[in-house]
Amino acid sequence: MNQNDSKTADFNRRDFLKSGSLASIMTLLGGVELMAQSSPAETAVAGPKVKVGVIGLGGWGREILSTLAHLPEAEVAVICDTYPAFIRRASNNAPGAAQTGDYKTILENHEIKAVIVATPTHQHKDIVLAAIQAGKHVYCEAPMAGSLEDARAIAAAAKANQHLVFQVGLQYRSDPQRHFLLPFIRSGAIGRPTFGRAQWHRKQSWRATSPNPEREKEMNWRLDKSLSLGLVGEMGVHPIDQASWYFNTLPVAASGFGAIRFWSDGRDVPDTVQAIIEFPKGLNLVYDATLANSFDAEYETLYGSDAAVMMRENKAWMFKEVDSPLLGWEVYAAKETFHKETGIVLRAGASKSVDADQPQTAEQKLTSTPLASSLTNFLRNSADVTAAAEDFVASFGADDRAALLEHLAGVARRPSAGYLEGLISAVTVIKANEAVLAGKRIEIQPELYELA
Amino acid sequence: MKMRTTLILTAILAAATLQAAETTKLSATQGSKIRIEGTSNIHDWRVESKLIGGSLEVGPNFPLKPGQAVEPGKVEVKGEAFIPVRSLKSLEKDGRPYSDKMDEIMYEKLNTPRIYYRVTSLTLKEAAKSASDPYLFDSEGELAVNGVTNKVSMPVKVTPLPDSKWKIAGETAVKMTDFKIDPPAPAIALGMIKTGNDVKLLFEWMVKPAPDAAK
Repeated sequence: MNQNDSKTADFNRRDFLKSGSLASIMTLLGGVELMAQSSPAETAVAGPKVKVGVIGLGGWGREILSTLAHLPEAEVAVICDTYPAFIRRASNNAPGAAQTGDYKTILENHEIKAVIVATPTHQHKDIVLAAIQAGKHVYCEAPMAGSLEDARAIAAAAKANQHLVFQVGLQYRSDPQRHFLLPFIRSGAIGRPTFGRAQWHRKQSWRATSPNPEREKEMNWRLDKSLSLGLVGEMGVHPIDQASWYFNTLPVAASGFGAIRFWSDGRDVPDTVQAIIEFPKGLNLVYDATLANSFDAEYETLYGSDAAVMMRENKAWMFKEVDSPLLGWEVYAAKETFHKETGIVLRAGASKSVDADQPQTAEQKLTSTPLASSLTNFLRNSADVTAAAEDFVASFGADDRAALLEHLAGVARRPSAGYLEGLISAVTVIKANEAVLAGKRIEIQPELYELA
Repeated sequence: MKMRTTLILTAILAAATLQAAETTKLSATQGSKIRIEGTSNIHDWRVESKLIGGSLEVGPNFPLKPGQAVEPGKVEVKGEAFIPVRSLKSLEKDGRPYSDKMDEIMYEKLNTPRIYYRVTSLTLKEAAKSASDPYLFDSEGELAVNGVTNKVSMPVKVTPLPDSKWKIAGETAVKMTDFKIDPPAPAIALGMIKTGNDVKLLFEWMVKPAPDAAK
């Protein structure tokens, strides 16, 4: 599901923040900038093209298409949606692609090696299982599923078919900036982790206009609690998964509250939610999301006994406590001030074209996002695995399937979220949404995270 | 007359059967390794693959079982091995992938989907001293890269294994320029990286009885 639905309003506000007040405020507050050295391995090199089909062309599906149009590895061969108007809207970003209303025609096409599933969450299971069965590499948007049964079915199928690439659209798992931050968090640079905080704030209805009541219901599935995981599931899945990744532990319980505070238009999904995701030993992530106010948009902050790290888009800052030990490098790091705090800027790929001081071009904006990194890694992993399978069969024949699968399982993959991360994050947000709707605390049984 | 024809045909068939029995067809199987090592003005580099395809047909004096007694001398041989170029990956010393950029440069320089080696001569120099020791051969063949084919001579060690497989290992040194490849000087790190002309090829090729021969 999308992380940024209201692009127009958000764009202006972010531009304003980037161009002036954000940097100034950050510098005033006192953060330190960590810039990653550009390693040879991360130097951008286009991989071979992969023929891909995109299934589901709502707002986020079209955002995916827009990003794919700028990725040299992507050859969008076919686009698919059951709603012809969505296909027409999407066709601008896939001018040469075939169009279909039936995803099964894509699965029958042996030329297409990979599919991206960006349909409503509750439709993922049938499509993903059929795609895996058809031997396609699959990118399944997050959350991976809307029910525990669906999540387990998808994860089990992906686990049983590891000769294929299966990736969940938990984009942060592929984001070089997030990978750059990981060792700082894990190595104790922030001291003892105390808690995390994340928010997603927008002023938007989440309601799509439609030509008739039947289509209205189908398009606005996110507003129907029988189909939707709500804000904590559709949006919160990303920072919640990130917290689990950074803290290196699994959630044990979720508490939540939700209400329709502004958009009283017949929906039964809260437009404003607060949730606390509990990890072992009292470590919590506090998450809030609203469709009624856009102040401060979205960011995540991890707090430790020595420092806090705040993450926004592809940038982050570390705010040190006065009694924290001197790390050394921060003396030379770039710093920005936020109100009364000074932040050390933590930014990956500082030597590349994504320079904080230079406005990004439209092309850079599309190719430096976590989504672009996530899709690139999916396409490159798909190309590598496809090539490895072809080369293995050419070298040794196809008789020994077990040896082929073993060989493919050993193909190095670029960072991405797999079936296990997909399962864990889906279980967590399903339980968190239950907590939000019930307004209570729900424990998450550890066996829910396990696959047989 | 009819009897004579039958006798001649029988003799020809018997000879053909004998010929077939005297050669052994082998084909590539899993477990192979190929490594190419080189140098640069920054640090040494290496690329590796686990895929070596191809097949081999060997005559009667080729050791078929561990420790088998065979006479030194020329062995009838016909065969070709290949390495899918895109399966070659640059690696760190600890085995992690090194660099996509370096891989792309390598693929561009090799300029072919496969590296081919055709063996033209095989001479047994020294039989195995024990069942676990290798047989030492001198080999001659042709190596084709970048549209250029060069003769290559190298010693190879052949080890028949208990599970009806053979490990054929060897190494040879070549110069990139012999294959009309300019040693890469990638336009990264301010253009300060220059690779050396000399590279070493080290391989362990695993073969087993060819499927059609095993029937």
